[in-house]
Amino acid sequence: MILRWVDERLGMASWARSGLRKIFPDHWSFLLGEVALFCLVVLVLTGVFLALFYVPDAIPVVYDGPYAPLVGQQVSRAYASVMELSFEVKAGLVMRQVHHWAALVFVAAIVLHVMRVFFTGAYRRPREINWLVGIGLLLLALAMGITGYSLPDDLLSGTGLRVIYSVVIGIPLIGPYLAFLVFGGEFPTETIISRLFVFHVMLLPALLIGGVLVHLAILWRQKHTQFRVAGATEHNVVGRPFWPSQVFKSTGLMLLTAAVLALMGGLIQINPVWSYGPFDATQVSAPAQPDWYVGWLDGALRLFPPIEFTLLGVTIPSVFIPGVLIPGIAFAVMTLWPFIEPRVSGDRAEHHVLDRPYDNALRASVGVAGLLAFVVLTVAGGNDVVALVFNVPVELMTDVLRIAFFAVPVLGFLLTWRICRELQRRADTTDARQPAVLRRTASGGFEEAGDGH
Amino acid sequence: MRTARLLRASALALAAVLALAAGMTLAGGTDAPLLLPPPDAQDGLPGMGQDLYLEACASCHGADGGGTDLGPSLIGLGAASVDFQLSTGRMPFANQLGAQAQRKPPAFSQEQIDALVEYVVSLSGDQAAGPPIPSVTVSPSLLSRGHAVFAGNCAPCHGATANGGAVGGGALAPPLDRTTPVQTVEAMLTGPGQMPVFQLPQEDLDAVATYVGYLQEAPDPGGFSIGGIGPVPEGFVAWVVGMGLLLLIVYLIGRRWDSPGAPS
Amino acid sequence: MGFTRSTVVTPERGIAALLLASMVASVGLLLLYVFGPSSAPLEGALLAVALGGVGGAIVVWAVSLMHAPPEVEERHELASPAAEREATPAAADVESMTRRRFLVRLLGGAGALLAAALALPAFSLGPQPGRELFETGWRRGVRVVGTSGEPIRPEDLVERSVQTVFPDGEVGRADSQTMLIRLRPEDLQLPAGRETWTPQGCVGYSKVCTHAGCPVGLYRSEDQVLICPCHQSTFDVTRGAIPVFGPAARPLPQLPLEVDGQGYLVAAGAFSAPVGPSFWNLTLDAPAEDAG
Repeated sequence: MILRWVDERLGMASWARSGLRKIFPDHWSFLLGEVALFCLVVLVLTGVFLALFYVPDAIPVVYDGPYAPLVGQQVSRAYASVMELSFEVKAGLVMRQVHHWAALVFVAAIVLHVMRVFFTGAYRRPREINWLVGIGLLLLALAMGITGYSLPDDLLSGTGLRVIYSVVIGIPLIGPYLAFLVFGGEFPTETIISRLFVFHVMLLPALLIGGVLVHLAILWRQKHTQFRVAGATEHNVVGRPFWPSQVFKSTGLMLLTAAVLALMGGLIQINPVWSYGPFDATQVSAPAQPDWYVGWLDGALRLFPPIEFTLLGVTIPSVFIPGVLIPGIAFAVMTLWPFIEPRVSGDRAEHHVLDRPYDNALRASVGVAGLLAFVVLTVAGGNDVVALVFNVPVELMTDVLRIAFFAVPVLGFLLTWRICRELQRRADTTDARQPAVLRRTASGGFEEAGDGH
Repeated sequence: MRTARLLRASALALAAVLALAAGMTLAGGTDAPLLLPPPDAQDGLPGMGQDLYLEACASCHGADGGGTDLGPSLIGLGAASVDFQLSTGRMPFANQLGAQAQRKPPAFSQEQIDALVEYVVSLSGDQAAGPPIPSVTVSPSLLSRGHAVFAGNCAPCHGATANGGAVGGGALAPPLDRTTPVQTVEAMLTGPGQMPVFQLPQEDLDAVATYVGYLQEAPDPGGFSIGGIGPVPEGFVAWVVGMGLLLLIVYLIGRRWDSPGAPS
Repeated sequence: MGFTRSTVVTPERGIAALLLASMVASVGLLLLYVFGPSSAPLEGALLAVALGGVGGAIVVWAVSLMHAPPEVEERHELASPAAEREATPAAADVESMTRRRFLVRLLGGAGALLAAALALPAFSLGPQPGRELFETGWRRGVRVVGTSGEPIRPEDLVERSVQTVFPDGEVGRADSQTMLIRLRPEDLQLPAGRETWTPQGCVGYSKVCTHAGCPVGLYRSEDQVLICPCHQSTFDVTRGAIPVFGPAARPLPQLPLEVDGQGYLVAAGAFSAPVGPSFWNLTLDAPAEDAG
C-alpha cells in the first residue's frame, strides 16, 4: 500500500527494480569498506550523543564532581564536561568509549580496505577518480581523529596539540603566521578547543559524509570489480543480487560491527582522561603518544636526526622534514599512484577483473615496502613503550629503528619481488571450470549463459 | 551442517561475552600484599646491625662504608636512603653489575632493617647526614593536592597512572604499584638512582604518598585498563581484538556459503 | 564437538534463539538503566548481545535460507557515445566562449580577486606573530618563584634537586617555564660567557623543548640530563643543555641567574635564545628579547 502510494508520487518502481537486482560479487574482502562505513555510522550516532553533553570551552572552572583526586582543582569547562559525561551521565562512559574504539577501528578498516584496493589493482582505469575520493576520505578520517583526540582537553591531548602547533610553526616562511591563525595566537590558547569542535562536529563530518556518498555513487555507477572467478570477464559482473541476500548480509554486518564496538567500549577502558588530569602547558606525562594512526608521524619525528640548517637565510626547523615533507611526499605518491603505474607498465586499458596480488610484481613490492616503512615508523612512535615493556634502552631502540627504516622496506621490496615472480611462474593458467550461470540481458531479462568469454 | 556450525560459534561468542562482563563486574578485589612476610627475625642483639652489615653489605660498600669498586660510599647517607634501599629489597644488590637495582622482597626483617639503618648512619659519624626516615600522614583530604603535585613532578617519568616509564639511558622509572607511603616519600627526599631529589613542603610529600596509594587501589570504571599507558596498547587492542573480531565476522559473512554441490 | 550431528539445530531455531537472546539483552539494558548502577562493562556487554543477536540472526538467515544462484550482469560502456558528447549544450557554449579570449580572461581575473577578497575574513582568526615568539616573561631582576609563587634561595635547594619555576607574578606562563636544577659547581662546563649565570651551582633552562615544544620534564640526576618525554631529546645540563640524543638540534635556552639583595634568585636577563621549537626567522644564535 505504502509502496504503491510512494510510487505514484515518485515513480520509483522501475528504478528500484534495476537497483535491487544489482549484482554484487562474493568475496569477503569486499566487505572491508563496509566495515569502515558501519564504523562511521556508529561514530555519528555516539558522536551526536557526546556532542549534546560536551562543552567546547576552555574557560577555567573548579572541578567539584565525584572523582575525588580532582576535586577543587582548576580545569577547563571542556574537561569538566568530559568528566561529567564519564562519571555522572548514565551510559555516558560507555558511549564515550564506544566512540573512541570506533574511531580506532574505523581507520584500521579504511587502511585494510585501501590495501585490498591497492594490491588487487582495483584503482586502475576507470576507477582512478574513486581512488582520489578514497584518499580524500582517508585524510578526512585522520583529521577527524586528530581533532577528536584533542577535544577532552586532558594532559595527553594537550601535549598532542602542542606537537601539532610546533610542526605548523616550523613550516618555512608561513609557519608562524599559519600557526597563529589556526590556534588564535601563541600556544596555549583558549580558542583552539572551540575551533577544533567546530571542525570535528560540523565541517569535517559534512565533508566526510558527502565524500562517502560520492564514493558509493561512483561505485554504483561503475559497478563492482570482481576477482577472476568462473564466468567473470571484463564485460560482466558475476555475483548475487543486492536484494535480498546482500541487503541482509550488510545489515547483519552493520549490527555485528556495532556489537563488536559496543563490546570493546564496555569491557576495555580507553583514554582514561581522569587519570591524565586536565591540560596544563607546564606539565607532561610519559609515555606521550597519539592514537595509532598518527603514530607513524610521531615516529618520524622521533627517528629523524637532529638536523637544523639555514637555506638562503631561512631556518629549516628539525620538525619540518619528518613532520611535513616526508608525509607530504608519501601521500602524494599514494594519491598519484593510479597515474604513476600506467607510465611504468604502459597498461592504460580498462580493468574490471582484479589482479591477484602477485600478478604485478612492481605494484606488490612498492606496496609492501611502503607498508613496512609505515610499520617501522609506527613502532618508532611507541619506542619508549617498547623499551619499557622489553626493558631495552630507548636509545638502542631508536638506533635500530633508524636502520630498520631503510633496511626493512628494501628487504621487503626485494623479497616481495622474488615471491611474486615465483608465484607467477607457478600460476596455473588453465581456466577454471565454468558452472551454469544466469546472464542478465540488457532488457532486464535472464538467460542461461554458455561460455563467459 | 554449516548453519549448525555458525550457530554454535554464535552461541559460544554470546556465552563468552556474558561471562566476561560478569567477571568484570564481580572482580572488585585486587591482590594487595605490599611486602612479603619477613624472614624469621633474630633477637635484637646489640651489634646485630654491624654483624648484618659485615655479612651482607661490606663486600661491596667496604667494611667502613667508604665504598669499593663494586659499590659506592655510604658515608653521608641518611636513614631515609638506607631504609628505602633495604625495605624495597633493592639492596642487597642482586643484578648484573651496573644495572639498575630492582624492587624485590626485602632480604631482612623489619627489625634487622632498623638495626642496619642505625649502623650505616653511624658510619658517617659527625658528617652531615641525609634526611632521616620521614613520618608520613596519609589523608584523603590531601588527595586532590596529591594529584596536582604528582602531575607536576612525578608523572613525567613514572607516568600519569604511575605505571612506570622508560626514561632513556637504559633507566626505567619503576611502576609505583607496591610502594608504601613511607617509601614514596623516602624516594622523593633522597632521589635513588637516576631519580632527582624533590624538596617539597611536608604537606606536598604527604599528598603525593596519599595519591600514589589511591592509584594502587583505583578502580577502572571503563573495564580492563590494558596497562593504563595510553594509545600504544589501545592501538594494539583496536587492531588485534577489534579488527581481529571484525575480520572473522567479515570472513564468515563473505565466504561463499552455497558453492555448487553444497547441501541446500 | 559435543553435539551429535543430528541435533535439532535448524537455521530457524538458531535464528529464533539469537533473536530471543537479543530481546533478553535489550530488556536487560532497560532494567539496568532504570534500576541498576551505571556500569560500562555491563552496558557494553548487553548492548553487544542486543546488537549481535539481531545481526547474527540476519546473517544466518541470509546464508542459510536465501538461495540466490549466482547471476551475471553485463557491463555497459561507461563513456557516453561520441554523438551525445558533441550534442551536449555545454560543449558548444565553451567553443563560443573561447573565441572571446579577452572577456574570459577578465572573468578569470575577477573570479580570482573575488576569491581572495572572500578569504580575507580568515585573517581575523589570529593575531600577527610579531615578536611574540622571541619574548618570554623573563628580564633582568625578575624574581624566580616556584609553582606556589614562593621565592627561592639557592641554599634552600639541595644538590640533584629539580623543580619548575616561573617569573614572579606569572606562575603557569607556558613560554616562561624553567627547570631549576642545583648542580655541583665543579661539574659545570658551560659555554664561555656564562660563568656568572649559575649562583652556587643553580642552573635554569627553558622547559620548552626546542624540538616540538613539549615540557622537558624528565631529569636523570646521575647522568645530569634533561629528557623530553615526547620524542626523547636529551640535553646535558652541565654543558649548557646541548642536545646529546634525539631529534632536537638546538640547546635548551639558558636563563642567566643571580642572587638579589635579599638572597633570592632572580633572572639576570632574558633566555640565551628564543624558547621552544624553531621557526623560519629564528637565527640560530640570537638571544631572546626582554618582554616589553
